[in-house]
Amino acid sequence: MRYVKISKENTYKFLEHLKATGALYAPQKISDRFYDFCAISDVHDVEFEYDRTIRPPRRFFHLPDEKMFNFDMTRHELTPVKTQAEHIILFGVHSCDIVGLRIMDAEFLDEQKDSYYETRRKKGIIIGLSCLPDEYCFCNVRRIEFVDAGFDLFFHELPDGFLVRVGTVTGHKLVDPHPELFEEVSADDTKNMELFEEKRSSMFSIYGNWDNLRYFLELRMDHPMYDRESEICLGCGNCTLTCPTCRCYDVKDLPAINQVNGERVRFWDSCQFRSHGLVAGDHNFRATKKDRFFNRYHCKNAYCPETTTSYCVGCGRCTYFCPAEINFKRNLMEIAGYRGAV
Amino acid sequence: MMTIIEECTGDCRPRVGVYALTSCYGCQLKLATVQKIIDISNMVSFESFYMLSSASKMAADVDVAFVEGSVSTERDLEELMEIRKHSRILVALGACSVNGGVQSWAEGEMDHDALHKCVYGDSKLTMQGLQATPISKHVDVDYYLPGCPPEEDEIMYFISAFLIGTFPEPKDYPVCAECRLAGNPCILIERGEPCLGPVIVAGCKARCIGFDVPCVGCRGPVPHETAWFDSLAQTFLRKGMTEKQIRQRMKIFGSHDPNIERMLHSILGGETE
Amino acid sequence: MLITKDNIYDTHKCRLLRKYELTEHESLFLFRFEDPEVAQNWRYLPGQFVELSMLGYGEVPISICSSARRMGFFELCIRNAGRVTDRIHKLQPGDIVGIRGPYGNGFPVDQFHGRDLLCVAAGLGMAPLRSVFLYAIDNRWLFGNITIINTARYGKELLFQKELEAMKDIATAENIAIIQSTTRDPDWPGLKGRATEHMDKANVDPKNCAVAMCGPPAMYRGMFNYLVDAGYDPRYIFVTLERRMKCGVGKCGHCNIGTATSWKYACKDGPVFDYYAIISIPGLI
Repeated sequence: MRYVKISKENTYKFLEHLKATGALYAPQKISDRFYDFCAISDVHDVEFEYDRTIRPPRRFFHLPDEKMFNFDMTRHELTPVKTQAEHIILFGVHSCDIVGLRIMDAEFLDEQKDSYYETRRKKGIIIGLSCLPDEYCFCNVRRIEFVDAGFDLFFHELPDGFLVRVGTVTGHKLVDPHPELFEEVSADDTKNMELFEEKRSSMFSIYGNWDNLRYFLELRMDHPMYDRESEICLGCGNCTLTCPTCRCYDVKDLPAINQVNGERVRFWDSCQFRSHGLVAGDHNFRATKKDRFFNRYHCKNAYCPETTTSYCVGCGRCTYFCPAEINFKRNLMEIAGYRGAV
Repeated sequence: MMTIIEECTGDCRPRVGVYALTSCYGCQLKLATVQKIIDISNMVSFESFYMLSSASKMAADVDVAFVEGSVSTERDLEELMEIRKHSRILVALGACSVNGGVQSWAEGEMDHDALHKCVYGDSKLTMQGLQATPISKHVDVDYYLPGCPPEEDEIMYFISAFLIGTFPEPKDYPVCAECRLAGNPCILIERGEPCLGPVIVAGCKARCIGFDVPCVGCRGPVPHETAWFDSLAQTFLRKGMTEKQIRQRMKIFGSHDPNIERMLHSILGGETE
Repeated sequence: MLITKDNIYDTHKCRLLRKYELTEHESLFLFRFEDPEVAQNWRYLPGQFVELSMLGYGEVPISICSSARRMGFFELCIRNAGRVTDRIHKLQPGDIVGIRGPYGNGFPVDQFHGRDLLCVAAGLGMAPLRSVFLYAIDNRWLFGNITIINTARYGKELLFQKELEAMKDIATAENIAIIQSTTRDPDWPGLKGRATEHMDKANVDPKNCAVAMCGPPAMYRGMFNYLVDAGYDPRYIFVTLERRMKCGVGKCGHCNIGTATSWKYACKDGPVFDYYAIISIPGLI
């Protein structure tokens, strides 16, 4: 892998160059406690030390609300809507979210490629950023606190700038035109990266490896946690909508007033909503709130072969953004008997 | 109870009536001012729509009637019965019609006489008032377009679907879903605002929260008994709200929903008035 | 074979050729592809399904219930149970619909060759199993003895009852046992009771028999117990699961089944699962 260094000051200059390459999105503070990936006009608004964004980065590739087709009911024809092909540059993506995007790729770019997602993803540039965990983070036990794929560039914080890992040819092409901004990595820089990593590792509230979690989940399917916590659950879907790897969507036809045309649209759905498990004749495979609550615990802890991780990347969003303050991490620890601070 | 619609001769467009019971007329104003109102009026024949035409009449024979407002007087009730008799499909338009609206806001036992006395004293009124109720308390309602006022895209979707002989895909998810997709920060989590977003049916694209105002619940609960007022009351208690505040908040637009008191009772106990 | 357009969600036009009422709520629809190239190359396996598009109304997954031998044509048995299927029931011969698919794994009929075949259907489950049954009839020389058990609550709900009844004329000569039974119909003149109660009439060799089933989970539970006790080879017991397959291609997530170690999409990994797959998912049936 190629490594370069960039000073904090030059980073802003680099961001300016990125802005000229395409639509630049980076973390910004949107309220007292929350951040989101926002379109950047002033690069000094970029928040380098953010915890997590309220909306996951998948939204740039799998749109929350998307027109798939225009249709003509008299000619019985669907006309696919052309996907916008502008470069989308995401700066400041944490390792959990990078793995989240790789999981999205595994699902949407399998042998049956979703062309809407594919077109946008091909135009996407992912620039990672190192981070320090808070009490909601548990990416380490998910084995994804340090990513080795899925980014074009990855910025590791140093006291005087960033050590940048160049992950792809696209990454090289972003660095190469600006030799004045980058310098060689020194032994001191590497030492500083080591210290940062050491500090980061020491800050997690739990340690170990949760690979055996999915087996405990199955062996303890009647655990009282499900009753207790689903009782508190609001069924609002915040956990799934903020999740970087949830990808359920629903489709509907919107006929136009002229009785001829219309649009087929898709929009994010959630397994926490009643209609998710509904089939013909009003039978529901996830009829109760507890069924739906249970469903997410199993889905998120299933194994994704492409990333060799669970579908949950340990970003902490489902807990941080739960209005009912249901603690996913704590509940999983309770089921598997893991010890550690909650 | 429905009248038989005569065979169409000449103008075969579906006949539509728009009526108001006790209300602010905002819902029919919304309907009258949707961007494509001209397109709509080309596709349907408005047999009665007082806001648009003085040639309107109470209870014309129509294929679909939109009724806004709650039943708040004896006259409302009589008109509603007439409308139902002359309409093939009856649509409740807006919060008052769907859920009773703010005028039916009540806590404890609904005592209309006490309410009347409190507002009007002993003065005599020409009309006979009733406890404000949603129209579904009195007649069969075929479709609901909630909101204060209803959303333009939902009105258009309903009319377009109606024109091809079907009805919209039902929505059964809460305002929270649209709020997250809209990129709003959550004011319930962040500031403990009494936001009803988790239990109120989506469709408004979380407009109020977008303006930093907590959801007051005008669209009514998520259907199929999946509005968890009990869980939300627990959340509100944790955020420091009092039992009285919680009840008040949930009943502004929800006093006719029997689930609310049942669920609140399990968390807060009985009402103390 | 799946023939997709550049956009995997785009559909092929199909013309309704015939509509035939089976029961009060279910009708059989015969379709043909409009595009000759698609008509000649479109293949499917018994147990696969298609997504049927009624523009303006929506899209629904429907099991194919015809024999795969008749190229370019396929039949769908559709219950009138919602907005979209209500519109489909109003179609007239000559009308056009959109079809994409076939999706799902289907029954591994190759593995069935050389074996006896037992088909067990309950209610609407007869729709996908008709495809298996007709496949076996059309390829009679590839199978040993064949038994089909078709059950429903009431006689008027028995799908393809007349069709199966009509086959009885040659059934004995062909070593085919056709058993039709109702569970709740006091006026039904024929057999009564669940599938398990008629297994003594099944004319198959448990040691060398493939089993294809479609019905509610309760039926699977009962049949699994019976079949394993009776010495059927669990590797050749297959069931098909009903879920809400909205996209058909493993994207939308609505048909997910399973628990943490066996998380699957019914549309992509199924809808046909073997005995061991089913019992490896705790709580599934």
